[in-house]
Amino acid sequence: MDEYIVEMRHVTKRFPGIVANDDVSLGIKKGEIFALLGENGAGKSTLMSILFGMYEPDEGEVYIRGKKVEVFSPNHATAMNIGMVHQHFKLVSNYTITENIILGMETKRRIGGFLPAVDVASANKKVAELSKRFGLEVNPTQKIEDLNVSMQQRVEILKMLYREAEILIFDEPTAVLTPQEIEFLLDIIREMRRRGKTIILITHKLEEIKKVADRCAILCRGRLVGMCDVAETSTKQMAEMMVGREVSFAQEKLPASFGETLLKVEHLSVNNADGFPVVNDVSFSVRRGEIFAIAGVAGNGQVEVADAIAGLVAAAGGRIFIGEQEITDETVRQRNEHGLAYIPEDRQTWGLILNFTLSENLLLKRYYQEPYCVKGVLHREKFDEKSRELIEAFDIRSGQGEQTTVRSMSGGNQQKAIVARELDQNAPCIVFVQPTRGLDIGAIEHIHSQILAERDKGKAILLVSLELDEIMNLADTIGVIYNGQLLKTAPAEELTANEVGRFMMGVREE
Amino acid sequence: MKRQTNGSRPVKLFLAVMGDEKRQNISIPLFAICLSLIAGALLMVLLGKNPVDGYRSLLQGCGMLMKEKYAGGKGMLTDFMSYLDIWTPMIFASLAVAVAYKAGLFNIGVSGQMLLGGFIASVTVGYSDLPGIVAKPLVILVCVVAGALAGSLIGLLKYKFNINEVVSAIMLNYIFQYVISFFILTFFVNPITRQSESVGENARLTLQNVEIGGMKTVVPLGFVLALGAVAVTHYFIHHTRTGFELKAVGANPKAAVYAGINVKKNIMLAMALSGALSGLAGATYYLGYLSSIQPKTLVSTGFDAIAVCLLGNSNPVGILAASFLITIITKGGMYMNSSIGVPQEVSSLITGLMLLFAACGVYIRARLARAADRQKQEEKSMASAEDGSAPGQQAAEQTRQEEVQR
Amino acid sequence: MTDIIVNGMSFALPLFIIAVGGIFSERSGVTNLALEGFLGAGAFIGALFVVLTSGWFSPGSQVPMYLAMVFAMIGGALYAVIHAVLCIKFKANQVISGVVVNILAIALTDFLTSQVNAGIFGQSSDKFVMTVSGRLTFQPLANIPVIGGFFTNVYPFEFIIIIVAMISWYVMYRSRFGLRLRACGDNPYAVDAAGCNVGRLQFAAVMISGALSGLGGMCFAYSVFGNYSVSIYTGYGYLAIAAMIFGNWKIPFTLGACLLFGFARAAGYWLIQLMGLPGAYSDLIMTLPYVLTLLLLIFFSKNNRAPRALGEIYDKGKR
Repeated sequence: MDEYIVEMRHVTKRFPGIVANDDVSLGIKKGEIFALLGENGAGKSTLMSILFGMYEPDEGEVYIRGKKVEVFSPNHATAMNIGMVHQHFKLVSNYTITENIILGMETKRRIGGFLPAVDVASANKKVAELSKRFGLEVNPTQKIEDLNVSMQQRVEILKMLYREAEILIFDEPTAVLTPQEIEFLLDIIREMRRRGKTIILITHKLEEIKKVADRCAILCRGRLVGMCDVAETSTKQMAEMMVGREVSFAQEKLPASFGETLLKVEHLSVNNADGFPVVNDVSFSVRRGEIFAIAGVAGNGQVEVADAIAGLVAAAGGRIFIGEQEITDETVRQRNEHGLAYIPEDRQTWGLILNFTLSENLLLKRYYQEPYCVKGVLHREKFDEKSRELIEAFDIRSGQGEQTTVRSMSGGNQQKAIVARELDQNAPCIVFVQPTRGLDIGAIEHIHSQILAERDKGKAILLVSLELDEIMNLADTIGVIYNGQLLKTAPAEELTANEVGRFMMGVREE
Repeated sequence: MKRQTNGSRPVKLFLAVMGDEKRQNISIPLFAICLSLIAGALLMVLLGKNPVDGYRSLLQGCGMLMKEKYAGGKGMLTDFMSYLDIWTPMIFASLAVAVAYKAGLFNIGVSGQMLLGGFIASVTVGYSDLPGIVAKPLVILVCVVAGALAGSLIGLLKYKFNINEVVSAIMLNYIFQYVISFFILTFFVNPITRQSESVGENARLTLQNVEIGGMKTVVPLGFVLALGAVAVTHYFIHHTRTGFELKAVGANPKAAVYAGINVKKNIMLAMALSGALSGLAGATYYLGYLSSIQPKTLVSTGFDAIAVCLLGNSNPVGILAASFLITIITKGGMYMNSSIGVPQEVSSLITGLMLLFAACGVYIRARLARAADRQKQEEKSMASAEDGSAPGQQAAEQTRQEEVQR
Repeated sequence: MTDIIVNGMSFALPLFIIAVGGIFSERSGVTNLALEGFLGAGAFIGALFVVLTSGWFSPGSQVPMYLAMVFAMIGGALYAVIHAVLCIKFKANQVISGVVVNILAIALTDFLTSQVNAGIFGQSSDKFVMTVSGRLTFQPLANIPVIGGFFTNVYPFEFIIIIVAMISWYVMYRSRFGLRLRACGDNPYAVDAAGCNVGRLQFAAVMISGALSGLGGMCFAYSVFGNYSVSIYTGYGYLAIAAMIFGNWKIPFTLGACLLFGFARAAGYWLIQLMGLPGAYSDLIMTLPYVLTLLLLIFFSKNNRAPRALGEIYDKGKR
């Protein structure tokens, strides 16, 4: 018992609609690198947020250094020398590195012997010294807004070290890093272990775990499905546990019959808001009756590819065609009219107007067309008629039918509404980005069968997904994106999940 | 837990009274109005006056209740018509705020746009001797165009230079105010009143000294226009394609882009429309209710309009009701002062409180939503208690978490 | 020349301290259009104190003036609680809240001024009559050419403002409180993650904003007008906002902006007098601050940056 520095016993955490953690028990030893492996939505982050005091478990207990945790709050966790690097950094952009690090636990000096002031100078020294000790190489007086993501992450790490954290939690630290940066980070993590720190690594990348972790717990749909010594377990075994054997999404999939090429992307490149290239010379084409899936780890440019096709971000280079029509410089509306339907990744930010009614949202792309709008005047009764038809056809459930405010609907039904609206365009080309994110199993199956049905109707479908099994089950052709480039494109039957996984990690063909 | 059980009955009652989300659009402003009227009544009691008399005199001052006596040639109609005269610009100004607000923009520059429209119309049409049938429509046209240009300037600054519309509107307010003051004092000043020269009766949108049934009264032609504007704005926002696009941009600009809506065009359009309505407010104020312009002053109408819009839930019909009420209080305040000696400041105080309570509406709404959620959860846990699981603990946990989050 | 400096300083400094009040609030992330209301309400309390205690002090004593400033600061801070509660606790829209707080301030002070005048002094008037502050001239220094203007006919409150501004600068840029406060305006979630209470910090910032505005309002009442009524403060709150934006939400630059506004105004008046132009031309001078600010925003909008989280409603649950 006492050998564990952290112990979680029978922890259960529920959120409205889902059980994020279901009776999870695990122990973490002092001085080890402990990995928490699982797919997106498997409950890894929730479990660690409980440890960091952000959530209180509904059931179960947490022990730290053998003592039961009674009060859950990040401040208490910090006091118990637990630190966490969140997926979204929490940094003040116009402050220097040091100022960010000392925020909340500033040391004081006295000006002229009596005026208390924040002692930045000595903090600078301390940060520089800490940074050197762990090989982090930062300049304490640089401002956050001048730093790239990897440097910002180092600041987050320094923040924990400055607070003398002994247990360090990393939430998907490599999702936003380049391969070189990942290597660097893993070195730092090893260095911290050498200095006796305990490290918890949340990730879904097997390669990283193989490289640094000592032990690994595997979560699948909220439950702990395995615990292994990394050295003695193969990547393949871990992958099997991660995906989960008992649940299968395999759908009835008819043999494909491909028509002519419909969506064509040539040498596409896209820059982010800072002018930094995130998509680099990507080319592919999708035929009628084909599901072309882009697989990849989050943040490798797949969403930007889809957004550029939809016209939500501008292409920095390259050309995009639907059929013979070049749409590269067209407005969003022109693209829609030329046969593009789009299911965006973030349904609440992009896909829906939450304060509008279901009816208005279902007609968001048709409101200006006849018969819904004649000579600039909307015909609400036509809106409602059409909506009722879609609600019926797509089984969208809501409190007050088509007059429900979308904000009050469940996530699954919101997604159904978007899918209903986009499929109703009857566009020959449909782009799905993460169509099943955050949905429960029933809703996922429903959407998968709809995607397949559209394919069988002869639509050209581009599917962007972070879920490997979703891609394996649905795709006819798979393109793996890594660091903004398509690393591999091949018919789905020629690739195994493991191979795709390897390409996702950036392993090039031998 | 204990506090909850104690408080549950009044909470439930309050929930039931305030109704669901849609009904809250009406019930929360009503709640604010009632609170401020009660506060006003208390104030009158403190001043040693009878609040019933006070509120009655407000209505009397606006020609909605009979006064005890009238001066020669005046009557209830006289008061009512002059009430309509001052109500009219308030309606336009509030609609101006509402149209911008629907597109997610704050037009805090309504007063400045009113002044600009009123001034330009005064010097171009007001001092001319065009026949009334030409002059009056021309006044309206000039004010609409001037206001719309001023509004679009704010829109342009927003999307071209990314300047917050609140900031640029404040700057423009003062620039208009002082530049116009300079022109008035230099070229158009009436040496006795120290205001601009009165515009001719031909250009005035309010007819003066009209005899109706033996009573002399004003006839605010603009009022008909204002009612029309309420109807048109309502129709525009709810039933036209452009109104739909405007609302989409206001509610979620990203989703609007996704739906293929031109966001920049709609920002310009919303500000232009808002400015045009402000121009109408200026026309009916400076060339209707008044006939001259006081230099170095922005009327408070444009700022009060923000509050009216808030109280009326930025819905044209709601605005009609809210401005109706607020104008009674401000206009009736004068008579309340002269008839029973309640200081006029009391009426502005009631208005101020009304706005204050209305601004709390978001909070009340959030509290109601939370209370309703909690009630639902309790009911749910009751139901699952019958299933034999352990719901009490769960519900308590959830409540506690909500407490923590607060 | 001396006149320009004297008048410029006596106008710029009260404006400056109000703008500093605005900086405190906005750097903490709370949009503050309510400065006008704060300074009106604060100055009202200060002036009320003066007229109520007018019999206590020997005529000509400067003590009530200093006490009035203290009371104005307390009054402003207390009145600012309304804005703070609306914005931080009730999560109301900050622009609306600012406008409402201003409207309410005018109504409230107007009402109370007349009530106090009627109830206590038995006269109907909407203003409190006070003395005009005395002025100091520092003899040897005042004779230096040009610079001497800074030591001629100086209002005592100018020193108070300079001292308060220095304390404000110190609190904002050197103290622990200031470090956390400015962080709130950029990323409140980072402050929360560092274990600080964002709501409490913002609340304090808005109250400081009220206190400084109250001080500035009191100085205006004492210098330029010698009395207190609603009409003395309308417009200055928004002018202070212009100065704050012009000064890029930084205390030293804002001082520069206020001095620019103040001297431009004084120089303009002087020029008009010199050239024998009618008084109306002063109105054109009055537009200068606003025109300059707008031009600055148009041409230097890249360098002029509002606090990143300004006006955002901070919701702890959201990430």
